[in-house]
Amino acid sequence: MASIYKRASKAQAEQDDSDLSMSDAESSSTLQADGDDDSSDETSASDKDETQISENKLKQVPAELRNRILMLTSRGVSFRHRHLLTDLHSLLPHTYLDTKLDTKSNNNYNSALNSLADLHSCNYVFFLEARKQAQDLYLWLAKAPNGPTCKFHVAGIHTMAELGFGGNCLKGGRGVVVFDKSFDEMETGGGGKENLALIREMLRGVFCVPSKGVRGMKPFIDRVIGIYGLDNKIWVRIYEIREGSKDNISTPEEKKLSEGADVGSGVKLVEVGPRFILTPIVILEGSFGGPVIFENKLYVSPNLVRREVRLKKQAKYSQRTFDRTDRTRKIKDLGLNTGAEKKVGVVDDRVLFR
Amino acid sequence: MVKKSKLLTALDAQKGRDYEAEKRRKVQKQAEKKRRQKQEAKQETKDYVEEDGKTVNGVPSAEQLEKAAIQPSAAADDFEKFEDSEDGDKDDTEDQTTNGTIPQPENTADASASEAEQDSDVDYSDLEEEDREDVVPHQRMTINNGPALIASRKRVAIVSDKPKHPLHFHNSITSTDKTADELIPDAMDDETRELMFYKIARDATVQARDLLKKEKVPFTRPPDYFAEMAKNDDHMDKVKKKLYDEASSKKAANEARKLRDAKKFGKQVQLAKEQERSKEKRDTLNKIKELKRKRKDNDTGRVTEGDDLFQEVSVDNTSSTQKRDRSGALNAKRQKKDSKFGYGGKKRFSKSGTAESSADIRGFSAKRMKGKGKPASRPGKSRRAATRS
Repeated sequence: MASIYKRASKAQAEQDDSDLSMSDAESSSTLQADGDDDSSDETSASDKDETQISENKLKQVPAELRNRILMLTSRGVSFRHRHLLTDLHSLLPHTYLDTKLDTKSNNNYNSALNSLADLHSCNYVFFLEARKQAQDLYLWLAKAPNGPTCKFHVAGIHTMAELGFGGNCLKGGRGVVVFDKSFDEMETGGGGKENLALIREMLRGVFCVPSKGVRGMKPFIDRVIGIYGLDNKIWVRIYEIREGSKDNISTPEEKKLSEGADVGSGVKLVEVGPRFILTPIVILEGSFGGPVIFENKLYVSPNLVRREVRLKKQAKYSQRTFDRTDRTRKIKDLGLNTGAEKKVGVVDDRVLFR
Repeated sequence: MVKKSKLLTALDAQKGRDYEAEKRRKVQKQAEKKRRQKQEAKQETKDYVEEDGKTVNGVPSAEQLEKAAIQPSAAADDFEKFEDSEDGDKDDTEDQTTNGTIPQPENTADASASEAEQDSDVDYSDLEEEDREDVVPHQRMTINNGPALIASRKRVAIVSDKPKHPLHFHNSITSTDKTADELIPDAMDDETRELMFYKIARDATVQARDLLKKEKVPFTRPPDYFAEMAKNDDHMDKVKKKLYDEASSKKAANEARKLRDAKKFGKQVQLAKEQERSKEKRDTLNKIKELKRKRKDNDTGRVTEGDDLFQEVSVDNTSSTQKRDRSGALNAKRQKKDSKFGYGGKKRFSKSGTAESSADIRGFSAKRMKGKGKPASRPGKSRRAATRS
């Protein structure tokens, strides 16, 4: 299966007509191109392709954009995590949803995931791992053969099924992916921010649908996926694009924004999809292995957070018991004891359990 | 045993470097040095004891001072020598719990691991008590391998400069608005945060639309285009219903509040009106009673509730008030009786014997008193007949 990718990438490099048509036909068997029309068009126009490489109408999708994502979870995920995964699968047509990976039988899932990706001819792995009985959710995002791996902690999950989201979008549409300025090339050029650039490219691989070769793709663009870097975390929001008349300002956000500048030519956004927050933990150089190339200093594991809370409560109680004994001692020292002994009942603990 | 990569071990073998042997030799040297120093220290203390007798009047002799001077410098040397060794303790003090074994350095394949850590590592338990305090606390270095990150990014990049693909290949842009951190000062403030997210997304969408239009890519979804949507119609109905229910409940609550307020206000108005009306009624009844009392003196026994009683509704109260003012102090008994039996009580003849009524001379006519006037003679039969016909 991996050989198909090799052949396809060779074709990209050489751009020979015979190779083009051949590889296209073969890749269509695995990647399921949009019907037979495309392939016939390509064979006839293959001669022109050599000269039109730099133009828009590149018939074949370039190698870096030809992505397929393997989505799976570990055992012990909650309903919310499962729904998040199915929501993303329904929104992104270039994904393959696989069954739960059994992490209990074998702790090392490095080889298991890599082999699964190879089996299904996917080059991205989107693995959601739940720990502590579905209390914490971690996302492993890796490029299958030997690419980097990012581990994130996922929080703030709201799924599409929640009734607060009013928008709806096409199931196989392509959509626009918008990154915040903090992911800009300038900002992430250096100075400790290179990890953001890498994360940006990997998220692009996940959310950007290739323009060809994906089954069930619809032509129009009706959604925006917004990815923002705020407070050292990555926030993801999905909106539906509604283009109405200029005076169509009914959502509360539009009202607020229109008070300031003028409304951007009647484009209205309604939130549709799941929303979640990612906190990068670690980036490894290999696929589920290899040396660590980035560690997030500001990441606090949820275990630590829970521990801190528990210790605080503990401190309160121990302080209170200490204060109690301290008080009796103080009173005794100061001689404030009235000397009258407390009357103890017959069934009191102090009498019965001497 | 730490697993080193095969390449590195091969290199070491070629160079003929045996890390284990080197370490062993170093440790040996350290231990020997320590032993020597211990022995020296013991000797010096012995010397002190011997030379104690040499002190002159409690003042230490020059020799002893010298000895004392030497001691700290020797100790300083000790510390200097230990400094190099303590560097190696940086990443070992954490791992050192009960292990007495020689600590191994971390995987050298790490680009960030410093070379110093591979050098001399002395056991924490081998250090003496006073030296343990001087051990530099271990600081775990967080890894941020810039070059490796950049290399990985170049390998993975979807959008890159070299083969510059048109936008519609990947449909991904970076916003030109300010960063989210600048726009949203507080991440916990939900309203502002979502508003700013919306703003960034919308501005970018408008930009993307213009760019894609230039590339002649269909953007807007026509209203009659039917295809499978991410959420099915039932779900959208539920959403609509929820919105509708929210709005209607708000409206109903508003209206109920308005009604309640109006009712309260109306109640106040009603109360005021009622009070006014009752006051009016009371006044009129009082006036009627006054009139009754006055009229009664003219017609004995006949209190007609005819119209002449109501003709003088605007009875002047001056007489009664004047009467009161003049004889207020004198007729206290009268006043008391008035107040006790005033405006109420017996309906008829209740004011028959008041001072006012007895002092009232209006009904008197002197002529009648003087003599009973002839009654008007009745005309004769013929005159009566004439008038009749």
